[in-house]
Amino acid sequence: MPVLLSRRLLLQSSAAFATLATLGFRAQAQGTGGRLIVAADSEPKNLNPAIVASNGVFFIASKVIEPLAEASFTGEDRLEPRLATGWKGSADGLSATFTLREGVKWHDGKPFTSADVAFSAMNIWKPLQNLGRIVFANLSNVETPDEKTAIFRFSKPTPFQLIRNALPVVTSVVPKHLYEGTDIAANPANNTLIGTGPFKFAEYKPGEYYRLERNADYWSEDQPKLDEIVYRVLPDRAGAGTALEAEEIHLAAFSAVPLTDLARIGKEPGIQIISAGYEALTYQLVVEINHRRKELADLRVRQAIAHAIDKDFVVRTIFLGFAEPSTGPVPHNSTEFYFSDVPDYEFDVDKANALLDEAGYTRGSNGTRFSLKLLAAPYFNETRQFGDYLRQALAAIGIDAELANNDSAAHQKAVYTDHAFDLAVAPPVFRGDPAISTTILVQSGIPAGVPFSNQGGYANPELDAIITKASETVDGKARIDLYNDFQRLVAEDLPLINVAEWGFITVARDTVLNVGDNPRWAVSNWADTALKG
Amino acid sequence: MSLFARLAAAPGGRAGLTILGLMAFIAFAAPALFPGDPLRIAGPALLPPFSSSEFPLGTDRLGRDVLACLVHGAQISLLVGLAAAAAAIFVGMVVGALAGFAGGLVEEALMRVVETFQIVPGFLMALAFASVLGASLPIIILAIALAAWAEPARLTRAQVLAIREQDYIAAARALGMHPLEIAFKEILPNALAPVLALSSVIVAGAILTEAALSFLGLGDPNVVTWGSMIAEGRNVIRSAPFLSILPGLALVVTVLGVYLFSEGLADTLRQNGEERP
Repeated sequence: MPVLLSRRLLLQSSAAFATLATLGFRAQAQGTGGRLIVAADSEPKNLNPAIVASNGVFFIASKVIEPLAEASFTGEDRLEPRLATGWKGSADGLSATFTLREGVKWHDGKPFTSADVAFSAMNIWKPLQNLGRIVFANLSNVETPDEKTAIFRFSKPTPFQLIRNALPVVTSVVPKHLYEGTDIAANPANNTLIGTGPFKFAEYKPGEYYRLERNADYWSEDQPKLDEIVYRVLPDRAGAGTALEAEEIHLAAFSAVPLTDLARIGKEPGIQIISAGYEALTYQLVVEINHRRKELADLRVRQAIAHAIDKDFVVRTIFLGFAEPSTGPVPHNSTEFYFSDVPDYEFDVDKANALLDEAGYTRGSNGTRFSLKLLAAPYFNETRQFGDYLRQALAAIGIDAELANNDSAAHQKAVYTDHAFDLAVAPPVFRGDPAISTTILVQSGIPAGVPFSNQGGYANPELDAIITKASETVDGKARIDLYNDFQRLVAEDLPLINVAEWGFITVARDTVLNVGDNPRWAVSNWADTALKG
Repeated sequence: MSLFARLAAAPGGRAGLTILGLMAFIAFAAPALFPGDPLRIAGPALLPPFSSSEFPLGTDRLGRDVLACLVHGAQISLLVGLAAAAAAIFVGMVVGALAGFAGGLVEEALMRVVETFQIVPGFLMALAFASVLGASLPIIILAIALAAWAEPARLTRAQVLAIREQDYIAAARALGMHPLEIAFKEILPNALAPVLALSSVIVAGAILTEAALSFLGLGDPNVVTWGSMIAEGRNVIRSAPFLSILPGLALVVTVLGVYLFSEGLADTLRQNGEERP
């Protein structure tokens, strides 16, 4: 029996190999537009971007299912129209009107109308989506006076600035006719996507590839440029670089090629390294603090930790220069919200030691003041390495930090549900507006179990008041002022310590054109991406 | 001729002894040779080997001294290897001796338990154990021991079964000795030699299992081990291969040393047996 079994396995794997061979898995142009082959490092369980607004899902799904508007370097409000051609918020913040694009068809031929937008908003974005829950918390209904107009009505004033900034991320529109009356979370269309985008979902072979085909009826003429996009599943990070060099793939996004390999691979002929295209997807390296520990509840101890971290070393050595030191909870590249006039914690071990002495935590006979449990998020090499670095940086000021090794699930449970940590290293994402996923990191009163939120027991009524006020302030200027106060207060009181911020790197063959031409390029629709020759 | 002298006389045994002795010395002297935490960031990152007198074997991604890490890694590797093997052999011998001596239902029950452990691939068991209970040194030692005790248990039982029928055991019984006394005073010491020869194989296996667990990120992150060094070096294997190769070499040499030692020991023990009248 074992012999038979292994023979069958062998047959299966050789059949899979043959499929790959017949598909012609070599990076070469076919037909007019050609086939773009891209490295994919994960296979999301649910591929519906209206439910799971995350980069792993968008990377594939954003080519099939489109949002109302996409981020842009040059457009008005830094937006570019997609399914909506116009948008306007009312002065009282109680409504927002969207004018929708004419002549758009779903991939199954049915016309796209305002009913689809209303259905997606009320039945998916608001109740089911991870980020839509926050942005559309006060959405009461969506009116559709005609087929091309959707009016969002809010029960409480909701800043249009926030809605606008969130448009590219939270407004993926799915077809009402496929979802109405079904169990949305279990709908098969969550995996075999039907959208309005430039590419149709064609095929998915688990563990091997996703294939998307050109949508000939796409609303934008002359687009898409490509005939096909194939996402080859390459879970091994070392594999992406080798595959690029062997011309088996054209492109590896999201730093699939490790930073340490960039200097070498950048010298290879025919390969380009592109850091543009992630401006609206800034990751932040953050030290989360459990304020239930009496030592960490003391501001002087938190300041000492901030002074003990050499941000330049982190940027230079861990990120090899592909990052920037942080000053506060909003990254530098958010030109709309970034506020620089905040307290700065320069790297100064003596000052850190003095602060700890002053706080009354003197060194014991073994040179240690107290011990802490340090959990580093395992999602990125860089977060793990920063954990190793932080342990050493803390040792220099007499704090003994014990690292724990956890997989992603165990880490999230330990930090966000069980609060079994003293310090944790986290990589939250800044998504264009502090209200989307940043204020939640310091706001109090969040139930246990919400990932990437304040689970450190920090409560500051002044900060909470600012956050609440900003969430109801309709005037853009006044709202920015409130977020300036927010940034200053976070930097002063250190509910968490912002260390660095970084975007990802795309490595591509130089035959791929128009890479990184919008601030969310990797997760945008790639309608203008083309292959040369 | 003493066992030790005879072992040292055999070429393989001598090489094994030398390597193990050297490793043991390095492991013991590690805190003196490289005081402080070997994971301390000591210099510029990614210095190649032989380029600086301060860091003869270079530095890693964060600027940690590779030589200091290797030396301290020897300590952990040997500690884990010896402790896991000692635990596995102790448990294995007790269970095996009990099973072999008691016979009947007890033997059946104990040997079924042993077989249960034996059919599960040892590494998978250690992996599951370490990932469920968390990664710390005692847990890893326990996990490796758990995966390795079945073999000595079977061997001990076989030995006990053979010795049980010898005349001197019958004599002990006739003298009215307590069965447990017979088991642990008369039988076990005589069953010891072949099981001890197995021990070095278990030590080598334990060192490799520990390295593999650390390589997969299930080691204790607060101590440096050769497996975790290889895992870290893997990220930069194209630009700084020495970071993976050096700890890999250390592993190979140590396991080779243990293997040669065990071969030599087995040979010597066999000769011992032959010399007996």
